[in-house]
Amino acid sequence: MWATNLKVIGVVLGTLFVYTLICNKIPQMQSEVPQKLSLGANATAEQLVAAGDKVYHGIGGCGSCHGLGTRAPNLRTDEKGTGAIGARCGTREAGESCKVYLYESLSQPTDFVVPGYQPIMPVVTKLLPPEQVWALVAYLESLGGTVDVTGADLQASAAPAGGAAPAGGGASAEFAGGSVDPKVIIKEAECGNCHKVDGEGGELGPDLSHLGGRRDAAYIRHKILDPGASVTKGYETMAGVMPKDFGTRMNAAQLEALVTFLAHHK
Amino acid sequence: MPDGLLMITAVADSIRSYGEFPVIGARGAIWIAAQVHLMFAAFVLGVPMFAVVAEAIGIFGKDAKYDGLAKEFTRLLLVAYSATAIWGAILVFLLATLYTKFWAYLTTIFGPSMWLYAGLFFFESFTLYLYYYGWDRWKYGRAKLGHWTLGILLNVWGTIVMLIANSWLTYMMTPPRDISSTTDLTTVKLWHAIANASWMPINIHRIIANVVFGGAIAAAYASYRFLAAKTDEERAHYDWMGYVGNFIAMAALIILPFAGYWLGREIYMYDQSMGITMMGGFMSWLWVIQAFLIAVLFLAGNYYLWIGMGRIPGAERFRPYIKYLLIVLVLGAIVWGTPHTMIADSKELAAMGGSHHPMLGALGVMSAKNTAVNLMILATFLSFLMYRRGNKEFTVPWADTGTKIQGAMFAVAAAIVLFYGIRGYFVEAIIRIGYSVYQVGAVLACIVFVTVIDSLMGRGAKSVGEIQWGKMPARSQYALFILAVTFTWLMGLMGFARSGIRQYWHVWQVMEDTSKYAATPALGYASQMISLSVLIFLSLVGFVFWLGGLAEKSTFGTAAKGGSHVGH
Repeated sequence: MWATNLKVIGVVLGTLFVYTLICNKIPQMQSEVPQKLSLGANATAEQLVAAGDKVYHGIGGCGSCHGLGTRAPNLRTDEKGTGAIGARCGTREAGESCKVYLYESLSQPTDFVVPGYQPIMPVVTKLLPPEQVWALVAYLESLGGTVDVTGADLQASAAPAGGAAPAGGGASAEFAGGSVDPKVIIKEAECGNCHKVDGEGGELGPDLSHLGGRRDAAYIRHKILDPGASVTKGYETMAGVMPKDFGTRMNAAQLEALVTFLAHHK
Repeated sequence: MPDGLLMITAVADSIRSYGEFPVIGARGAIWIAAQVHLMFAAFVLGVPMFAVVAEAIGIFGKDAKYDGLAKEFTRLLLVAYSATAIWGAILVFLLATLYTKFWAYLTTIFGPSMWLYAGLFFFESFTLYLYYYGWDRWKYGRAKLGHWTLGILLNVWGTIVMLIANSWLTYMMTPPRDISSTTDLTTVKLWHAIANASWMPINIHRIIANVVFGGAIAAAYASYRFLAAKTDEERAHYDWMGYVGNFIAMAALIILPFAGYWLGREIYMYDQSMGITMMGGFMSWLWVIQAFLIAVLFLAGNYYLWIGMGRIPGAERFRPYIKYLLIVLVLGAIVWGTPHTMIADSKELAAMGGSHHPMLGALGVMSAKNTAVNLMILATFLSFLMYRRGNKEFTVPWADTGTKIQGAMFAVAAAIVLFYGIRGYFVEAIIRIGYSVYQVGAVLACIVFVTVIDSLMGRGAKSVGEIQWGKMPARSQYALFILAVTFTWLMGLMGFARSGIRQYWHVWQVMEDTSKYAATPALGYASQMISLSVLIFLSLVGFVFWLGGLAEKSTFGTAAKGGSHVGH
């Protein structure tokens, strides 16, 4: 009987040993906690880039999608003949500098989805502290471009959360060129990425084509200004996806034009 | 919020947030306590499910041996139940003393559900005692049906208890999006927190996994009793019990991945970054290890069946086909374990010449992996079918036609799997994802229809000879041990994956872990914690089974006389 017991114990311990050994032989990757950077107003471009490199390959986990050629555009290498991200970021959005574009891509990724890819990018400014986001911007600029992130940007990022527009930015000052044409606003706001409007657009959010038949103007206005206040039935899993900053990006006339258009679209 | 909970929160605010534990640290202590508690809990939730099914077969099929089996399964529960409660208490005390503020946070939201949990646990315990100790008293007629109802009630209590506990841990993963770090906890509605995005997928996944786990542990128990048996009768009984336990585990295992896909999908839909962390981020190696473990399960499960054919007169006619099944299983395992999206540094990228290995990249994609795993499932089902037919000679006039139809169904299912597997390389990802549904559908349809045809063909079948229960080589029983250890280890690994994707958050993006253990450890450290937990669990489970053996003689003596073991 003892021989049987020893054999059973041997099989159990041997199996556990093999599994533990294999797991200890493969590359060991620990998920670190984002650390506050000790970079201040005098941080040099080299220091920012080095810190951003760590974020990109570490806590940022950017390489999980970027660089695979399927999930998201290449950043460190050429993307369809346009070069690395530092070389092309300044021309991605008309009138936006590379720095502004990169920052906004990290803070409002659904607004800057590159054609051919899904809107799967998380809001990086929610995941990382502002210093790390700026370091990341500096690193991305260094990939074929010129680094113009400075310590001043880090200082400015100490501003209240959610309102950290990049220094020298002001991209949203004239949303949709000030137009009050609802179709222009819808296009500029890229509602179609998630919603169908007049039969065209995405399906991540409710169809807006006949919204006026279901909702009144007050509800629509409230929903645009505070999308997290309620969740439409059937779209619970998409809660939190809709940007919360339309109220600050549009002026009052634009908001009312959009609300009126949707409320009358029955 | 009740005053008591307000007081708990106030106390937690005024004292330290984290405690420390000697040698293994606070995280290690919580890890082991939670894991061992969960293993016992899975066992005591899984076993009653098939105990009550076995009792029903005994009642309605008038087969006493199944009633005896159900009682023996239930006997395993008694001491295991106490161990579950003890480890649950250890976990709660450790949480309250080592993660004080976090525990206060959870109790503030979920307090009333914790009281309900304790109440139901009380009912569940007494239902179990009535169920077991009333077995021989309520043995006939209506009393027996009443006893069976107790078994169903035991499952109902157990399932509700599990659903409540699942709500706490799933809230930590996927808290409702309108709850933030600044939310006043007194305004959070209990049901709103319970019915979070991953709650139901986890519930379904765990119900199925508990059956798998319970079956594997019961089979390991039977295999030990088989090896220790002193008489042929005892050996025959535990051989049969081991077979039934393994059958339950493997049958439930086949549907478990589909529940896993649903859970993964919900995680992705809740938060893409969480899903990416899980599948392509720092956990990417974990899935290679998972594939390896599942390959071990498939190979060991099939090996057990193939050896088992040696005790079935007539099964030797199927032996020549085993080598082909082995080839399919080994090739499938190799493809399934091929890595694809791994985090690589610049040197590794340069060595590979790109983000994917030039040769292995094509095998690491989902098209290849889904094809491989579906063919492995088909091969395993074919093994089972051969085992099932081993000693039968069909007498229905359409037996040949039926067998040809079955063969055609296998061929069509395999062709569909291969067709969509190859086509997946030439279409967009969004279309390719949909192909897995066709592949899985073809395999499941094949399993269902082939089983139905086989059952119809088996009516009035002649037996070439009775199964020689007990005439199994010892190595087959060690295969059952490897299965039990692997299932238990896999459970620990998947628990690490589920919990680890929260990274440095106690509650995802709501409550941050600010302890010195906030970083999520690498797989090497995790494997040591998992192995330690498995070792503690198996040592204790061995001890409680030994205790159970001391307390009462096995029921096999009377049960084995109730009928012969022909068929399955």
